[in-house]
Amino acid sequence: MDELLQEFISETQESLEALAGEIIAWEADPSDRGRLDAIFRFFHTVKGSCGFLHLPRFERLSHAAEDVLSDIRSGKRHPDAATVNAVLGIMDRIAELTQAVAVGAPLAQEDDEYLVAALAVHESESEAESDAPAPVPRHGSAQAAPRTIRLPLALIDQLMNGVSDMVLARNELARQLRDRAGDPALEGAFERLSGCVAEMRDAISRTRMQRIDRLFAAIPRTVRDLGRDLGKRIELSLEGGDVEMDREMVEMVVDPLIHIVRNSIDHGIETPERRRALGKPETGQLRLEARQSGNQIVIEISDDGAGIDTARLVEKAIAAGRLTPDAAARMNEAERLDLIFQAGLSTASAVTAVSGRGVGMDVVRANVERIGGTIGLDNHPGRGLRITLSVPLTLTIIPGLVLRAGGLHFAIPRAAVVEILHDNNAMLRIGEVGGARIATIRDVRHSMIDLEDVLGLDIPAEPGPRTVMVVRSASGLPFALGVSAVENHEELVIRPASPIVMASGIYAGMTLPDNGKPMLLLDTGGLARKADLSEIAEHADAVRTAGERTDAKEGTEMVAALRFEELSGERRLLQLSLIERVEELEADLFGHSGDRAFVRLKDRLVPVVNGCQGFARETVSALRLRDDRREAYYAVAAVLDIVQMPAVPDMVAMHGNLSGVCVVEGEHLEVLNPFALFASLPDEPAERKHPGRCLLADAEDGWAREILAPLLRQAGHEVLIGLPEGAAVDPSDIVLCTTSDAMQAADVLGCRTVQLRAAPQPSGPQDASIYRYDRRALMAAIAGAGQ
Amino acid sequence: MKQLYLFATLAGARVAIAAEEVEAVVRLTDIAPVPGLGRHVAGLSALRSRVLTVIDVAALIHGAATPAERRELAIIADIGGHSYGLMVDEVSDICWVPEGALPLRGRLDPVWMPYARAIVEHEAVPWLLVSPSGFLENGIADQAA
Repeated sequence: MDELLQEFISETQESLEALAGEIIAWEADPSDRGRLDAIFRFFHTVKGSCGFLHLPRFERLSHAAEDVLSDIRSGKRHPDAATVNAVLGIMDRIAELTQAVAVGAPLAQEDDEYLVAALAVHESESEAESDAPAPVPRHGSAQAAPRTIRLPLALIDQLMNGVSDMVLARNELARQLRDRAGDPALEGAFERLSGCVAEMRDAISRTRMQRIDRLFAAIPRTVRDLGRDLGKRIELSLEGGDVEMDREMVEMVVDPLIHIVRNSIDHGIETPERRRALGKPETGQLRLEARQSGNQIVIEISDDGAGIDTARLVEKAIAAGRLTPDAAARMNEAERLDLIFQAGLSTASAVTAVSGRGVGMDVVRANVERIGGTIGLDNHPGRGLRITLSVPLTLTIIPGLVLRAGGLHFAIPRAAVVEILHDNNAMLRIGEVGGARIATIRDVRHSMIDLEDVLGLDIPAEPGPRTVMVVRSASGLPFALGVSAVENHEELVIRPASPIVMASGIYAGMTLPDNGKPMLLLDTGGLARKADLSEIAEHADAVRTAGERTDAKEGTEMVAALRFEELSGERRLLQLSLIERVEELEADLFGHSGDRAFVRLKDRLVPVVNGCQGFARETVSALRLRDDRREAYYAVAAVLDIVQMPAVPDMVAMHGNLSGVCVVEGEHLEVLNPFALFASLPDEPAERKHPGRCLLADAEDGWAREILAPLLRQAGHEVLIGLPEGAAVDPSDIVLCTTSDAMQAADVLGCRTVQLRAAPQPSGPQDASIYRYDRRALMAAIAGAGQ
Repeated sequence: MKQLYLFATLAGARVAIAAEEVEAVVRLTDIAPVPGLGRHVAGLSALRSRVLTVIDVAALIHGAATPAERRELAIIADIGGHSYGLMVDEVSDICWVPEGALPLRGRLDPVWMPYARAIVEHEAVPWLLVSPSGFLENGIADQAA
């Protein structure tokens, strides 16, 4: 019985979640029979199940709703706003009761009577016309739910672990096999097994993924209810619901997202009257769009409302004593906008029930950053606001840096690292006063701690400079962290560490790299707390340093760049934002054909921009570059560090792949020109279709079939061998003939023809045919005939 | 009550652990230290794709960490969804004990007080009955203090 009850609860909760969007969509379009049926079925199922589970309140509620919906189905009643409200009310009550049953709490002693009574109220009796009609979610049509089964998460975790073990066993086997004499049959079998294991791993990881639809499910209801409360008209559109993300991530993102949506409706979108006065359409647009971009999920929330009034933000900040008028005057627009993320500041002129209580964007940002995400604002005052949330695809794989300190290795999330310098860098000055160490970088003072000191390790004496990383936690100020060296940049699979380890407060998790030695992931916020830096972060210094930062920026605009060593030995710079990551690739994956170099990744070829070949080593470091569309690799000898370089080189000298020379830390370095890099990539295979098919008239001609047809296909033509039977020839088709017989047959069809001949010379002055190996003339003839 | 016990030597004392609380006994290989924690957390060790948090019980009892060369065997226990390895000196036997746990007699060394719950008679000598989770709970409490 317990099991049945459990099943009933989880099924009901799941259906409720899915239906919330459906019912709003149905209200907007009451003629949508499919949605009405889905809602009806829900109540029907609940009624049926709770009958024998003996849940009389459920039964009564669902029965009442079912009756009304049944009347609507049979056309006896019209689904007006009052009815929909009543049905929603019943759904809410069922949700409350389900929750209570699930946790074993006593059922709330509220009266269900009025809910049921509300159902009976017809539109005529209810308040005249509802002032704000429902938002119109433009979902796709309701989809049939895919067949699913319910599995405990523990089982999936067990499967994941099993597969990880399999991968390790496979690696071990691969090592053993390499040591033995090669037996092709054995190797073949192993390859197959290896492939299966890899596929299995991918499939199992997918079980953790969930469609973002689930994240969007609660939005239409929020928008509808809030729109009604505030008397605003909103058209909601949701896109990209089929993007998948880690189910844990979905849960982490839902609160920030709802918060942003509420803000947007409350502060962003104006009332219909005001919108009319401003010359905007009365109905505001709210648009949510999700897409996957690399290993990030990007969710964009945009509205066409008022945007953020930065002048007002500044006023508020000054009034709250967080900012001096002086500092405010020096802030640029982006920094003013950034004030929205300060705790306790809000542009809402009055505290409403919805938002404006100062618990706002600061909490949203903290929550998003805690899961390794970022939040961006694109503000158009008076015209709208677009908020972009970027979160990692999963909580479990993050880009990280591997660093060494006190003879041990640690990982740190890439997102937490602002910059990396050597301690002999001229830009860095480390001062000490009363035991406190201060690292001054470009006139900005940071608290400086050595990782070894925080962890209670000895600082080993090592040759060469130590590395200073400027790291920041989700909240709080950036601080300087001294370590022995930063060794590597890789994608880390993070798993939770045991509570006894987490209790230290300085670790965020652990990872098991291929070498089988577990490694801990540092929590930068925890390190700052452990080193008692948190006090400093809380102080008003934040604003002062922000002011100083502006000063530092006023000179030249600086951008982060990667300093690396070319295979030919020179040291060069490349703008960091273009580099997706640094990879170690096996040298034999690189290849070239003609003057084009490429690297083989699984089953596709990615161009290598600097065309290197014949490496003298086993693995090659390569920078993976990406513009908005294409990717490419750039092979390097070594990645050195990340530095700040001026956005415009100190000496502009464009030649080849270079854009000029920069002076960085007393060294002059050539800067790669991203434009030239991507412009030099080979063209992608033509995707556009040439107009018209090419018909090869002589189906029997081997030359036409084996040599001509592939050439035409490569050029993007659709090729048909032999003339089609009957009159299926399109006037835009082009017929290619190799014999005069075929030429005559083609003439009959009445479309344009190109005649080819086998002899290099024309047979006479009347001969308009083209020599069949004259590629230029042939292509020109086809293009000409096609026009 | 008839019970299956694992008999081992732990921090120099004879102990019995109920067999259902023990997942396996393994030989420890590499232990990656976890700095910033108490001495009783010896570090992390990989067991195939699982990562064990290795607890140095002797350090918990006597306050002195076990030297690296004597870190050999560990009892694996799954506690609260995480895998732990408890370092033991020696494992002697796994046996059914017909009479099961007996009440503690005599005055126990105070260092053992938080961990020992009863005794088990095996081969005519008493063994202290301990539980892997007991070491952890008290271990974390210590750290907080």
